[in-house]
Amino acid sequence: MEAYLLNLVILISIYSTLAVTLNFIMGYAGIYSLAHAVFFGVGAYAGTFMAMHFNASIFITIPVAMLAGAVLSLILALPALRVRGEYFVAASLGLQVLAVTIFSEWKAVTGGIGGLIGIPPLDILGLEVFKPSQFIFVTVGVLVIVLIIINRLVHSSFGRSLRAIRDSESAAAAFGKNVPLIKTISVVISSALTAVAGVLYASYLSFINVESFMLDTSVLIMAMVIIGGTGTQAGPIVGAALLLILPSIISYLDFLPQTEIGSIQQIIYGLGMALLMIYRPGGIVGRKKQSEAGKE
Amino acid sequence: MVSSSTDTQEVLMEIRNVDKAFGGVKAVDNVSMDLRAGIITTLVGPNGAGKTTLFNLITGELTKDSGTIKWLGQPINRIKPFKAARAGILRTFQDLRLFNEMSVEENVLTSVEANSVPAPMTKSQRTARSEKVEYALNRAGLFSKRNIRAKDLAYAERKFLSMARVMATDARLWLLDEPASGLDPNSYEKFLEILREEVKQGVTVCIIEHNLDIVIGISDRIAFLDRGKLLADDEPQTVLNDPELRAIYFGERT
Repeated sequence: MEAYLLNLVILISIYSTLAVTLNFIMGYAGIYSLAHAVFFGVGAYAGTFMAMHFNASIFITIPVAMLAGAVLSLILALPALRVRGEYFVAASLGLQVLAVTIFSEWKAVTGGIGGLIGIPPLDILGLEVFKPSQFIFVTVGVLVIVLIIINRLVHSSFGRSLRAIRDSESAAAAFGKNVPLIKTISVVISSALTAVAGVLYASYLSFINVESFMLDTSVLIMAMVIIGGTGTQAGPIVGAALLLILPSIISYLDFLPQTEIGSIQQIIYGLGMALLMIYRPGGIVGRKKQSEAGKE
Repeated sequence: MVSSSTDTQEVLMEIRNVDKAFGGVKAVDNVSMDLRAGIITTLVGPNGAGKTTLFNLITGELTKDSGTIKWLGQPINRIKPFKAARAGILRTFQDLRLFNEMSVEENVLTSVEANSVPAPMTKSQRTARSEKVEYALNRAGLFSKRNIRAKDLAYAERKFLSMARVMATDARLWLLDEPASGLDPNSYEKFLEILREEVKQGVTVCIIEHNLDIVIGISDRIAFLDRGKLLADDEPQTVLNDPELRAIYFGERT
């Protein structure tokens, strides 16, 4: 039971990091990306490549993964952020589909469909971290650091610019904000931080393949953000925890036919999302539908 | 015609032969005019005259088909909106476009911060920034509401917030798109007072306005647009007393 809980908390903290970094662009800049799992995957593959072929020190694997995530996100952001929001969603979807093909085919780096096995544990200043009881400190620690970074950014003038752009792009520009530049920077930061989660994930499982980085993962992360509360600080973590705990809870309910668990889970997700959007469109942590102040 | 007293003012912006067509419709048709320092120039004309389009052409929101615009003697023909803002040309929007989910104070604060990447600030810069924000909030009568979200403000307060965003900056030219429309008489008295005070302190204003009382009350100069064409650009009395222009303005055109 303890091992089960440890595993669950580690996965929740990794997915929370993903949700928090997606929320940074979705909730504060209004950029909806369906390619978040791509940067998760790029981080995982880049970190693994370094760990397997050069050095498993996190001071090598994490910076390389962040750089890879940042550079790839520039390729998406530079053309796609110059146009309106809907096009970015479409472009990110395109990147997601393309990336899955590359992840499956580029055998030298990704191991193809079969993936990579025997990924070395994290090396932190010579200390090999692989036991879940130690690993949990790393993943929770990274989540906390990412939260602090994003919190600082959101409350800086940069964060104000992002929120201004989300609320009115033309007004933000009319007050001197270089909208494409600010959006691009936010996507690059988000992608680089996402890549860190990829390094942890690969090292924790010591096995990765393309299935962890496909469109359903991108959609799952987006669902975590929306259900938890877009543009809130705690929302993405609540959403990540809920969506990872829910399957376990469902499998504990004996009266459900165990063979249909998968589809029941989908029905509950779908129903839950629909009800949430009707009664609490801001998410679990988000504001209530009607604002109390300012009613005339 | 006798030359107007405002003709002697320094020209901040020079607009020459500017054209803009949407499909077959000429929204702005060969317009040439000057915006002179330290005065209020009012753009009047029926709906669809091209007033807002002219603002959009000045700030680079739209690109001109032809013509030139000079700001402080320099051509700004292909300027982007954010660069126009940084050059000292600010505008408000008819539909306000406040940063709705942000607090009143943040709305003003972010308008003062024109940099894209956070730049380190000295203590005195920080103080200067807070003073500007506080000044604008006080002038607009919104200081006590500074922590309320913009979308929770009442209508008149929203209009004043739109003004506060501009007031807090160091911009030399304000392009105001119907800032007083829909205001009750009390509020627009207050609005006029703010505007006069700011102009006295050296700001130059170009304002789109429909309410004739306000037009008469504030204009140093009136530019009359109709169907994209500039029909007059002169002293208020000259423009307002022109029977032909009055007929167009009040829709008595045949």
